[in-house]
Amino acid sequence: MTIVFLTIMLLVAFTVLAERRVLAFIQGRVGPNRVGFGGVLQPFADFIKTMMKEDLVPDQSTKFVFLLAPMVAVVTAIMTLIVYPFGPTVTIPFLGTFPLVIARFDVALLYLLGVTSVGVYGIALAGWSSNNKYSLMGGLRSAAQMISYELALGLALIGVILIASTLDLFTIVEQQSAWYGMQWNIFYQPIGFILYLIAAIAETNRVPFDLPEAETELVAGFHTEYSSIKFLLFFNAEYINMITVSMLATTLFLGGWNVPFAAYLFGPGTILFALVSVIGFFAKILFFLFLYIWLRGTLPRFRFDQLMNFGWKFLLPAAILNIVVTATVLFFTTG
Amino acid sequence: MITTLLFILFAGMAIGCAIAMVSQSNPLYSAISLIGVFIALASLYVMLAAPFIAAVQVIVYAGAIMVLVIFVIMLLNVEHVEPRRKRLKWLVPVAVAMAAVLIAETAFILYSVQTSQANLRASGSEVGLTYSIGVNLFTTYLLPFEITSILLLMAIVGAMSLARRATILSPVARVVPGSQVLAMDLVNPGSTSDLPAVEADTTAEVRRLMGVDMPSDVQKDD
Repeated sequence: MTIVFLTIMLLVAFTVLAERRVLAFIQGRVGPNRVGFGGVLQPFADFIKTMMKEDLVPDQSTKFVFLLAPMVAVVTAIMTLIVYPFGPTVTIPFLGTFPLVIARFDVALLYLLGVTSVGVYGIALAGWSSNNKYSLMGGLRSAAQMISYELALGLALIGVILIASTLDLFTIVEQQSAWYGMQWNIFYQPIGFILYLIAAIAETNRVPFDLPEAETELVAGFHTEYSSIKFLLFFNAEYINMITVSMLATTLFLGGWNVPFAAYLFGPGTILFALVSVIGFFAKILFFLFLYIWLRGTLPRFRFDQLMNFGWKFLLPAAILNIVVTATVLFFTTG
Repeated sequence: MITTLLFILFAGMAIGCAIAMVSQSNPLYSAISLIGVFIALASLYVMLAAPFIAAVQVIVYAGAIMVLVIFVIMLLNVEHVEPRRKRLKWLVPVAVAMAAVLIAETAFILYSVQTSQANLRASGSEVGLTYSIGVNLFTTYLLPFEITSILLLMAIVGAMSLARRATILSPVARVVPGSQVLAMDLVNPGSTSDLPAVEADTTAEVRRLMGVDMPSDVQKDD
């Protein structure tokens, strides 16, 4: 568990760095390359610098809620990590056989949706308690946006649940290991995958759906008044959310830790197989993270009415249609 | 041992949050306390081997309904509301009677559970799982399930038609050609009833109705 936590934190740090470097290359700049070899130590320098800043609390703010909001954001972001299967069942000498997942239980997917929906409060309360009109606008926007896109997100996943007929993520990944580890759900649910990806980007408040923190109109939105460690917590929560959303996409649609032919080359249950699987899992996550950065460098921001129209009038009906089609096909094929 | 400790922790959290919810004067604090109650209840459901109910509790109540409540509180920006004691006076005996009924119900449930504990243990931990709930919902309890969903659908349609009538179909609400309904009319429909009807020139009309004075040269540019 500690290993997972540290890995994710390191991944957050290097995602921030990668974001700055890749964005720089997209925009024809160099980006931060001075601290360490090629800028590798830049996130740690940023971390120390942010920690040294004065922790300002606005005079007119609601103090308790102001303190509570970043905690809610980061705790809910970290809580989702426990259900993701990082690798297959592995046999390690002297330690026994166990699956590479922290907690495995019946309603893992519902647990994820529940924790994510509680995460909205972090941003909404931060916007309200700052007693700043920009923050309030940002908080309101994000609450509206996350409610709207959570529906589409949940409905986009139902196609996969119908096929898998379980909510346990580890079982869903294991079901995708046929065809030499290539029976991924994306081949059955291409529409569901695209819908999920769009809804997930909106859910994590990233470009082109980053209206809650639109810096040109809202001065960074809900976290305008936050500084030092509290800002760092929000920043962390956003990047952990990006990673967990990518992990869910990998787990449900891209076969999780399944690497093609790995089980035949190394044999199931061996340490080498587990290692390759875990690397494969993280490679797929890195692909999604790159996609995030790529989108940020490419697309402009939506207008708010466009965002709402798109969510309610296109994504939601498309997701419902996807469910109906999937259910019909399953009814006639499996009987 | 650990189960008892966790139960005391979560039950205490639920009761504490419930008391905080009722006693707070700031509506947002009440809403946050209510979220605390829901989360504590969900934890108790998990301990009762009903993870599905717990997840749904968090998704539906803590995640969806309370977000809407907080959304409304933030939009209205209500600060401390002073309690109006005189109006609530007749509620006191009613509240006492309701509390008595509730305590009697709880005592009855406690009594019946204690007498039939053997049956509960026999049914095992399969009850709260997604599979058994799904099977029961779509076989034994299909009719109540469908009736409930139709009821909810009717509530949604009703809410939508009421909201639409209040804004667009109201005789005092005025629609400016080519633009949205004026916010002023929506908030207080009675206040504008003595004003003349909407004219065709939209920008000037909006400015006149909103009470914004614009220099004449700026108006020409538009």
